[in-house]
Amino acid sequence: MTTSTSKNAKGIGTSRRNFIKNISLAGAGLVVGLPLTACVNASLPNKNQLALTPNALLQITNDSTINFYLPRSEMGQGTYTGLTTIVAEELDVHPSSINVMNASVHDDYTNPDYGFQVTGGSNSIRTHFLPLRHLAANARLVIRQAAAQQLNVSLTDVQTENGNIVVSGKALPYGDFADSANNLAFPEHAPLKDKSQFKYMGKNAPRLDGLSKSTGTAEFGIDVDFDGLYRAALKRCPVHGGKVKSFDDSAVRAMPGVKSVVKIHNGVAVIADYYYQAKNALVNLQVEWDLPETLAAFSSDSTASDNGKALFKTALDSNESSNAYEQGDGLGALNNAVKVIEAEYWAPYLAHATMEPMNCTARLTGKHLELWVGSQSPDLAKLTAAYYADVPKGNVTVNSTFLGGGFGRRVNTDFVAEAAAIAKESGVPVQLVWSREDDMKHDFYRPAAMVKFSVGLNSDGLIDSWVVKRAGPQIMPYTMDDLVDGMMPSFLPNAMVDGLSKAGYSLYQSLLVDHASVEGLYEDYDAPHKSSGHVTVDPGLPIGPWRSVGHSYSGFFKESMMDEVAALHNKDTVEFRLQHLKNNPKLANTLRVAAEKAGWNKPLPKGHYHGVASHASFSSFVTQIAEVSVKNNQLHIHNVVCVIDCGLAVNPDIVKAQMQSGIIYGLSAALHGEITLKGGVVQQSNFHDYPALRINESPNIDVVIIDSDDAPTGVGEPGLPPIAAAVANGIFAATGQRLRSLPLKLES
Amino acid sequence: MISFVLNGQTVQVSAAPDTPLLWVIRDHLKLKGSKFGCGMGLCGACSMLVDGESTRTCVLPLVAVAGRQVTTIEGIGNPGMLSTLQSAWVEASVPQCGYCQSGQLVSATALLSKNSNPSDEEIDNAMSGNICRCGTYPRIKKAIKQAAMDLKQGDGRLQAVAYFDPATLNTEV
Repeated sequence: MTTSTSKNAKGIGTSRRNFIKNISLAGAGLVVGLPLTACVNASLPNKNQLALTPNALLQITNDSTINFYLPRSEMGQGTYTGLTTIVAEELDVHPSSINVMNASVHDDYTNPDYGFQVTGGSNSIRTHFLPLRHLAANARLVIRQAAAQQLNVSLTDVQTENGNIVVSGKALPYGDFADSANNLAFPEHAPLKDKSQFKYMGKNAPRLDGLSKSTGTAEFGIDVDFDGLYRAALKRCPVHGGKVKSFDDSAVRAMPGVKSVVKIHNGVAVIADYYYQAKNALVNLQVEWDLPETLAAFSSDSTASDNGKALFKTALDSNESSNAYEQGDGLGALNNAVKVIEAEYWAPYLAHATMEPMNCTARLTGKHLELWVGSQSPDLAKLTAAYYADVPKGNVTVNSTFLGGGFGRRVNTDFVAEAAAIAKESGVPVQLVWSREDDMKHDFYRPAAMVKFSVGLNSDGLIDSWVVKRAGPQIMPYTMDDLVDGMMPSFLPNAMVDGLSKAGYSLYQSLLVDHASVEGLYEDYDAPHKSSGHVTVDPGLPIGPWRSVGHSYSGFFKESMMDEVAALHNKDTVEFRLQHLKNNPKLANTLRVAAEKAGWNKPLPKGHYHGVASHASFSSFVTQIAEVSVKNNQLHIHNVVCVIDCGLAVNPDIVKAQMQSGIIYGLSAALHGEITLKGGVVQQSNFHDYPALRINESPNIDVVIIDSDDAPTGVGEPGLPPIAAAVANGIFAATGQRLRSLPLKLES
Repeated sequence: MISFVLNGQTVQVSAAPDTPLLWVIRDHLKLKGSKFGCGMGLCGACSMLVDGESTRTCVLPLVAVAGRQVTTIEGIGNPGMLSTLQSAWVEASVPQCGYCQSGQLVSATALLSKNSNPSDEEIDNAMSGNICRCGTYPRIKKAIKQAAMDLKQGDGRLQAVAYFDPATLNTEV
């Protein structure tokens, strides 16, 4: 999908339609990919916007259009602007003059860290920083070489200036040399700019997708429309994993607009002319289900005497534990400690609740399937869809759109599988749209977790042993189960593929510790002895990556525990942390800067208190200090100071936006977020019973970015992990209440 | 047939009278700027101006707007002709994923049409019906204040598009 960009904040930019026209006209020119595919030429399908499988990242046409195929998915985090800025810097063009397109599926778009085309783990800028710079620098060099040849001057006399070749003061657009550059060997080692030469990187600039997103013209998956497209709504088993036993659609078929009713792998779909007709008809669809036993027996709402925690508590207290990390002799050292402090913490299941509900459009024509979807993993979506539509993997075309929020939810491809299956069963092009209720009740949730800390102190009051055990479900088996259908070789029968994915689950259940289960629980602070254990306990609710994954709870657990240990012998909690950050200088620095900025230990308005938390994740380092008050048993969060070290900030304003975003998303969870089950059925359904933070609850946020020459690190997720603990530690300072469960609930 | 004024132009629609206005606009009239978020009037992604008031159209039946003025994000401005609020939005890089922003801009437009100099608390009150999961609230506040200042100086406009013809989007009405 295409989107126009504009350098002019007042909006005198290229209109969307003109833009499409322009690039459709784009003819021959220079097409370059990663070094591996550098010798490709203009006959590639990405020479215009209608290309189905572009196999390169960058194109410069002979009419000087510069196309950049965005290899990562834009879901709010700013990668659209960030990666384009990196290309622009080395190509020497203004970022807003580059046409950015959401890429389809191709090997060139593979995420180098993961080996498949996924956007997640806050790595887009980090992992593409050097490869994209080299790509653009090499492209700029080859255009200069072509210009030198064409104009018969020496290379050193050929300079560039904002998309132009400049020779003896005369400027000619890059496109004039695109065809001849295409006949030259593509360079591999063009020098990169020095930081002192940067025109765009490291500087604030408006987001390149801001214009389309401020005018309702950015295209999301749900906006895809074409003649002959039907809409589908799907009734799924209220308990995940249930199967259709029987269904009665007699009251449905005559309803307005209803075209057909089809059964698929996990439910029964109504296909209608319009979405509201399909959604209305679902109410009258009668389905009997075969329920999965384990999950159907699980309750964690107020009707369960233990609130569902007994399962976790029993596992935590058992001797069962897989070792996840060991340094020195964590458990043994506890015996020699002068004092041992123990505490247990809890975090519930959470939904992602992206603003755009899940949706996918699928059109099956013979044995060819075309998809339109906003996905964090378009290549996996392609494989999954091929499996469920029963077409060869090579016969699937993916059209990527903007994502109306991702937060990890759109890594999974369950909704793509459904759309593909419905298209196959119904025989018509369909757009499957989930309701908010579908979204809330059929998520891959942030896993619940219970941990127990045992912290041993030495005679100096410093930490000698840091021991932590986590009980909870693990994400990896669910991801495998969701994705394996599409990843298995197509010659394997479907039943065998299903069997293999289930085998992966039990392997993980009993033997392995997924690093995401324990990440962030033990790394940050110095201690001679450390030990982290894990016991898997799983009621069977699907789980998946949720913004900052394991750090989303471990940040709260670890930073609250650190506060407890410091408070127990009346140590200043900032000073106590610094004493244990000698081997973590970047985190220590963010803490010092934040304490200075917030005025730690300086007088605050009457009744206001500070809480602090520091946490490293996704190769970045963040400290947050929350200023809170509690009046009439009501919590108020007045201000949050946030300091991040993320290496070079390619666009500091977007880093700031991501800190604001992580804090606010994290506060929704810290103050309100809780998914509960009754008989395996998720009890929350919409924003009235799963509230998101609103503008009136949103605190003032001051962000400081540490100046750094180091390579860029993550920003989409690292702003989230500290916030719940910063607030909880503030509540402790204000009231003496140590809240060890999320969401935070003041004792009355 | 039910008729109403959409972005300055009278339209006639044959959808059932109880059809939520959001789906009439999105799927019958093919204007995709207004979004579906919750279907219960809780999140504000579907907000449109109905006779100048920011209204949740996912729960508003078509029949309720018969003869009334409806303005969507497309009627507030477009990429070539922005309203002052939209300019402020772009300058402050308000949007992240962007999905809720049409609704945010509709509510902000309604606010500034009645209150040219809103306080923080008045912004909170007017905007608290619009959820943003990306957490763009600090920038929404900043952009509304910037737009209020620009409007006061007299060179701005709350609506950049006086007349909007859905037919220019090449769709059937």
